[in-house]
Amino acid sequence: MHCRLTDMKQNKVNMITFGTLPRTALTLLLGLTMATVTLRAAQKEKAPLPLKLPMPAFIGTPTDIPIDEHVEKPSEDPRPPFLAPKGVQNVALKKKVTSSDKSPITGGVELVTDGDKEARDDSFLELHRKTQWVQIDLEKEYEIYVLLVWHAHNTPQLYHDIIVQVSNDPDFLNDVKTVYNNDWDNSSGLGVGKDKEYFENYEGRLMDAKGVKGRYVRLYSKGSTYSALNRYTEVEVWALPAS
Amino acid sequence: MTRGFWLGLLVVAAVAVALRWPQLSLRPMHTDEAVHAIKFADLWQNGAYRYDPNEYHGPTLYYATLPVVALSSDPNFDHLRESTLRFVPLLFGVGLILLLFAVRDALGPAATLVAAGLTAVSPAFVFYSRYYIHELILVLFSMLFLASAWHYAEKRSVGWALLAGASLGVMHATKETSVIAVAAAVGGLGLTLLWNRWREGIPIALKPKLNLKHLLAAVALALLVSGAFFSSFFTNARGPLDSLLAYFPWLHRAGGHSPHLHPWPFYFERLFWFHHGPGPVWSEALILILALIGFGAALFRKALPGANLNFIRFLGFYTLALTAAYSVISYKTPWCALGFLHGMILLAGVGAVILVRAGKPVAVRLTAAALVLLGTGHLAWQAHLGNSIFYEDRRNPYVYAQTVSDILELVNNVEAIAKVHPQGYQLPLAVVAVGNDYWPLPWYLRRFLSLRGPDHWYSEVKPDLAADIVIASPKLRPALAERLGQTHQVVGLFGLRPSYNLHFWVRSDLWRDFMERSQARPEAPK
Repeated sequence: MHCRLTDMKQNKVNMITFGTLPRTALTLLLGLTMATVTLRAAQKEKAPLPLKLPMPAFIGTPTDIPIDEHVEKPSEDPRPPFLAPKGVQNVALKKKVTSSDKSPITGGVELVTDGDKEARDDSFLELHRKTQWVQIDLEKEYEIYVLLVWHAHNTPQLYHDIIVQVSNDPDFLNDVKTVYNNDWDNSSGLGVGKDKEYFENYEGRLMDAKGVKGRYVRLYSKGSTYSALNRYTEVEVWALPAS
Repeated sequence: MTRGFWLGLLVVAAVAVALRWPQLSLRPMHTDEAVHAIKFADLWQNGAYRYDPNEYHGPTLYYATLPVVALSSDPNFDHLRESTLRFVPLLFGVGLILLLFAVRDALGPAATLVAAGLTAVSPAFVFYSRYYIHELILVLFSMLFLASAWHYAEKRSVGWALLAGASLGVMHATKETSVIAVAAAVGGLGLTLLWNRWREGIPIALKPKLNLKHLLAAVALALLVSGAFFSSFFTNARGPLDSLLAYFPWLHRAGGHSPHLHPWPFYFERLFWFHHGPGPVWSEALILILALIGFGAALFRKALPGANLNFIRFLGFYTLALTAAYSVISYKTPWCALGFLHGMILLAGVGAVILVRAGKPVAVRLTAAALVLLGTGHLAWQAHLGNSIFYEDRRNPYVYAQTVSDILELVNNVEAIAKVHPQGYQLPLAVVAVGNDYWPLPWYLRRFLSLRGPDHWYSEVKPDLAADIVIASPKLRPALAERLGQTHQVVGLFGLRPSYNLHFWVRSDLWRDFMERSQARPEAPK
């Protein structure tokens, strides 16, 4: 944010200084200046995302490692730091959560954004079987750079039909942008997804949202290789206020 | 018998049906259920049954399924539904409740109705009344055997002796563990006689209660019934002999290596206090507490109004012996608990009546009755949860080595490919699983002709393996990649049981074709 304000101030100064130049040159210079500002805004200064990870609940990767079109091979190594624009914050923390399941099996919807992502029995929301979703109201529009989700990382398992969408429409009828979709067989009916299925672990799943703008984030799932039920331990949305 | 008693029993049976019938197909088929379904199919489709002393228990389940399937709308094995198969144990589960009229005079009418109610709502009984295995048949005929034997002891009528004999034959033809129930009954009888002698000075004398001719007739009928079933109705002469030889492998299994070896408190934990992970605490402790009250009163009181003291004492010792025997045997599966749990339920009926009648002021009686009712309601609630939400979840104490729903997604994909494959259900399909750990897939893939017979079910990768679709253990991936890597690809991973997955290999060009057709569906918005 600091960078952007500096750029704007400088831009204003430039316009005053060159106000006496011929109109064509002025237009050219103005265009150049605007392009520079845009480029610099796009290349916001980045820094590693300051994530706090929960304790690992199991050691090692699953023995049945698939290498295929739809399933990602689990890594033995820690995830490399993710560079996000400086100043991004987890804007989902403590924000209001709603769900497709009005009577969850265990836990309350507030657990999804309470900041507790440990693999404990009391730290997750558990929804019924079939495709279910949780939705976070960020309260205003944000530029979202990173989404992180922990479904259940108490045991190696692979969740199906993980679809993450962002919108300014709380009903997700208009202006829906899909950040992630690994429903390769379209069994949830929201369209065929090209992203990979993956094994849950303590690092959660990091999804690069590339600055998509929106106020509401909705996350779908349809059970796992372990259970037909849908668990959500924590969701983080790392973002900047929309410009 | 009074009209009120029958009305009460019918209301309880209706409650039992309401808890057992809904969504009978919801839970994926357990391995054992699938095995029994395939065994039944052979009997149904080919009229063939041959007892195998190494596996599968006796044939009564399959023969009992025949009329149920005949009355259903299922035309053939391809279209046989899980709900049709599970209707068989459901019938026995509800029949067990109605059968309690046979011990009305022994327990007393009120205690019988309470016992019926507890059987109706017991989470264990509800869960396994929806499970295509032998247990409910065994429990029902054990009950009929005990009731008939008691009636015989009371009346010395040859009819009751024959009914006891026939029940004994069916018990034996149902499951090898029937001998444990018989041994417990003998032990229970002996302990009752000893107790009566010690506490009340009653001399031990069986002779007045028994008629040798009646006894021989009962044994002969038991042998005839059992022999008829094991010989596939006199078409397999070796069957009855095999039914005796079966005890060697089962004894070996009971004390040898098996994934089903558990410490002695296994059943107690599952029945009386089970809390693994978030969710409800599962407990049928109410039954245990009431059973202890009932048995304690029978032991130390001189009389129980409206009930037969000796029968209740016998029931207590029998249940104790059965519980001890099953706890001592290392080989344990949770459904084996039904036998002694039912004994506890009968005693609990007595205990509940004693508890309610013990209080002198009406308010105390009403409070005791309300507590029993509340506890019964809690059991019903657990039974509902266990079959509507936690039906495949290991937090449910009765879920054991359960198939998870995820495998149905794999089956859906195989079916979807078959619809676009030129050979349809004849498409070449193979299953390769280490240790043949692929059940219940033979049930779910029964429509695929290439899987009929053993030719396409493997435990290792054969050099000549050839199929358009291969479902395989992840451990076999390197060997399969070597064999099929050039032509096939793994397109998915699906859970068969918690922490045990299967890979879904499909011939690449077939998969591309399938996916191209699938792409006609909308792509996700970006």
